[in-house]
Amino acid sequence: MNLVLYSGGDEKENKNLDRAFVELLGKKNPVVTFIPSSSYLSEQEFKTFVRHYSKFKIARFIHFPVDVPFDKILFQEVMRSDAIHMGGGNTFYFLNSLRKAKLIPQLKAFAEGGGLLTGLSAGAILMTENIEMAGYPEFDRDENVVNLTNLSALNLVDFLFFPHFRNSARYDAVFKKYTKSSPKTIYACPDGAGIVIRQDEIRFIGKCFAFSNGHKFTIN
Amino acid sequence: MNQIKKSPTDEVGKRSYTNFAQLNGEHPFKTQVPGGRVEYKARYRKGGKVAFFNFELAKEMGLIAKNHQPVMTPDLEREILETFSLTIINEYDLINEIKFPEEDIFPHTFMATRYLQLQHPDKCGRTSGDGRTIWNGSVRHNGMSWDVSSCGTGGTKLSPACNIDKKFYQTGDPSISYGCGLSEVAEGLETLFFSEVLGKNGFKTERVLAILEYDKGIGINVRANPNLIRPSHFFGHLKQGNYETLKQVADYYISRQVENKAWEKLTFKSDKEKYLYLAQQTCKALAETAAKFEDEYIFCWLDWDGDNILMDGGIIDYGSIRQFGLFHAEYRYDDVQRFSTTILEQKQKAKYMVQCFVQIADFLSTKKKKSLGHFKKHAVMVAFDKHFEDAKNRNLLQRIGFKKSHVDHLLKNHLPKVTKFRKAFSYFERSKSKRGVYKVPDGINRDAIFCMRDILRELPQMYLARNALLSHHEFLEITKSSYARKSDLKLTDIRKKQINRFQSVYLSMLGALEKDLNITRTQNLLELTMRASVVNKYDRVTGDSITYIVQKVQKLKPKLNPNELYELAQSFSTYQNLDPDQKISNAKSPVRHKNIMQNLYSIVRECREGI
Repeated sequence: MNLVLYSGGDEKENKNLDRAFVELLGKKNPVVTFIPSSSYLSEQEFKTFVRHYSKFKIARFIHFPVDVPFDKILFQEVMRSDAIHMGGGNTFYFLNSLRKAKLIPQLKAFAEGGGLLTGLSAGAILMTENIEMAGYPEFDRDENVVNLTNLSALNLVDFLFFPHFRNSARYDAVFKKYTKSSPKTIYACPDGAGIVIRQDEIRFIGKCFAFSNGHKFTIN
Repeated sequence: MNQIKKSPTDEVGKRSYTNFAQLNGEHPFKTQVPGGRVEYKARYRKGGKVAFFNFELAKEMGLIAKNHQPVMTPDLEREILETFSLTIINEYDLINEIKFPEEDIFPHTFMATRYLQLQHPDKCGRTSGDGRTIWNGSVRHNGMSWDVSSCGTGGTKLSPACNIDKKFYQTGDPSISYGCGLSEVAEGLETLFFSEVLGKNGFKTERVLAILEYDKGIGINVRANPNLIRPSHFFGHLKQGNYETLKQVADYYISRQVENKAWEKLTFKSDKEKYLYLAQQTCKALAETAAKFEDEYIFCWLDWDGDNILMDGGIIDYGSIRQFGLFHAEYRYDDVQRFSTTILEQKQKAKYMVQCFVQIADFLSTKKKKSLGHFKKHAVMVAFDKHFEDAKNRNLLQRIGFKKSHVDHLLKNHLPKVTKFRKAFSYFERSKSKRGVYKVPDGINRDAIFCMRDILRELPQMYLARNALLSHHEFLEITKSSYARKSDLKLTDIRKKQINRFQSVYLSMLGALEKDLNITRTQNLLELTMRASVVNKYDRVTGDSITYIVQKVQKLKPKLNPNELYELAQSFSTYQNLDPDQKISNAKSPVRHKNIMQNLYSIVRECREGI
């Protein structure tokens, strides 16, 4: 499985993650699909996405909002893409839209079938078993605007992912507490940092942190 | 807020919002066109509050400072109410000698203007005009004059009810609806949401400056535009052969256009040249507007009286405005006594109005009124068809997603390709359901079966991704609308031929640009993908969606203050801005607003193909 989990940040901060993404693509003239978390003003996000990745000589893109109906012809092209990127935004809304569109199994199959799946912030959280991290901690969470109760997501990795992490005692305290009662490790990444998974190999880009069994570890 | 009256003794220097004082009923039209208006005294109307205020527009008009926060202050609310919360003292009040406290009466009179309206039995404009509207005045700021009028300020003698029933009505008389002179907050909200969206999308339109709210959903809706004169302001006097007043209207209108630098030409060697220029400008404006209405599926009920439109083609009076999601070209509104025009018939109505302006130009130059038919083949009428065709071609290229320089290049160098594509495009756009004409809640319709926005949005990215044409089946699968039945989608030989033509001419336009401007196919398609996704956004407002949105907002309204309503209207119009060159700032709105906006998006989505 080939995955890239971005935390957030700007072009400059994500330079190394982008390089890893392009290496994983490993193909000339690839097709990359952008799935925004919501169709609201997503055309602008798509423009920014295209401008950013055009710098890596990628020129073929598909814009694929999932909270509006789509035709199966375009969807077939999406599934034939070389990479699918899931954007940032409200994780609850995003998951709800993917589920309503019956895309969870399709995206899972895409990743398991060798397609490169990447996600930024909400998009990265979706690759984990569930999106609990989107509602945690209390002081820094997405609003559950769709009152979603089933939080299970793509379950492509065996860890939890926390984006936009700020290295502070406040976060440390809540994540240590969380992992005391949870068997899963939380990888917390500040903006510009992230995780690259190539087949079975996991690589951390930038300074990342792990919380496990009530302890904090620094990676890189 | 209670009984506050704009006192004649108020000193401008002591007021916080000095420019509001200009909106005191005085207006140049009053003195320059005495035969074109009726004057009314007015009294302060108690019990009102400000439901909405357009801070952005008020800044543009110079009514509030550039750095004014979009927040309603007690001072500002007082100023708005003092200026706009009024009811005219009409003929009924005078005949029945109804007394009003002297201190509640405004120092100046307010005018209702006379214009032609086909629903009046007179049909010549002697009795028709602003039936429940008065003009508050005009303000000038940054070299631009703005007219401001208010709807719902009381029944005038120019209302249809007065003239059909041959009696004067008391303002608010519950025995009649439209003729009672009042307006509803819902009408103001409908105009607000619709006009802000259409304004952002390049339509000329009146805009809502403020909505005042009274008991039982009654409101005063304050509208603004740089020039609120309509063709119908001319047509009444033309029909009556009233040279003097017609000339005054024309001279007044032209002087405002010159003052606002709205025209390229600002000086004239002779009256003949001036009035011909007026006809030419009106011709261009109305031809372009008729084309835009067709291409953006706007039903405006253009008719021979020139009542539903401003002179520059701007939209006024949103009561009869609709935007369809598809090209429902056979929809007709049922107005009890008659059916409205269709979208396609609007062009002929616009052309008729232009012919009237050629007649006006000649009448004003020669003082002899010739028959309208005399001008059927006038050069201006020939120009109308050319402006219309040019606008249709340009509109289509913009809808495809081409940027301006590419549009200009194609129009200048590859016009045959463009017109060929327009034919193939129209074949699908105008295809109708086999279901035939049927009744809809407010009229009749025959469904369009293809959603052209969908194919224009998907085509470039499909080509980009797969580098191959769509099959016939795929093309129909993407283009079909929810109105299409199985029997509507048969792949006939003609349809296959049209699909081939559509795709081949589309690509040949791209090829021409690539060859001439040295760009690659991938670059071209990528740019079109990005631009077409904005221009042909999946969700676009329709008349129905605006109606439901207003109902939703009204339910929420008791809890929405003017600042929140302003924010909502701004967010909504930003979301519906389909200009691919727009720059959007990512302002964060409160969670409650996000939830409301999500509701509004759902409404737009659900109604996106309707009427």
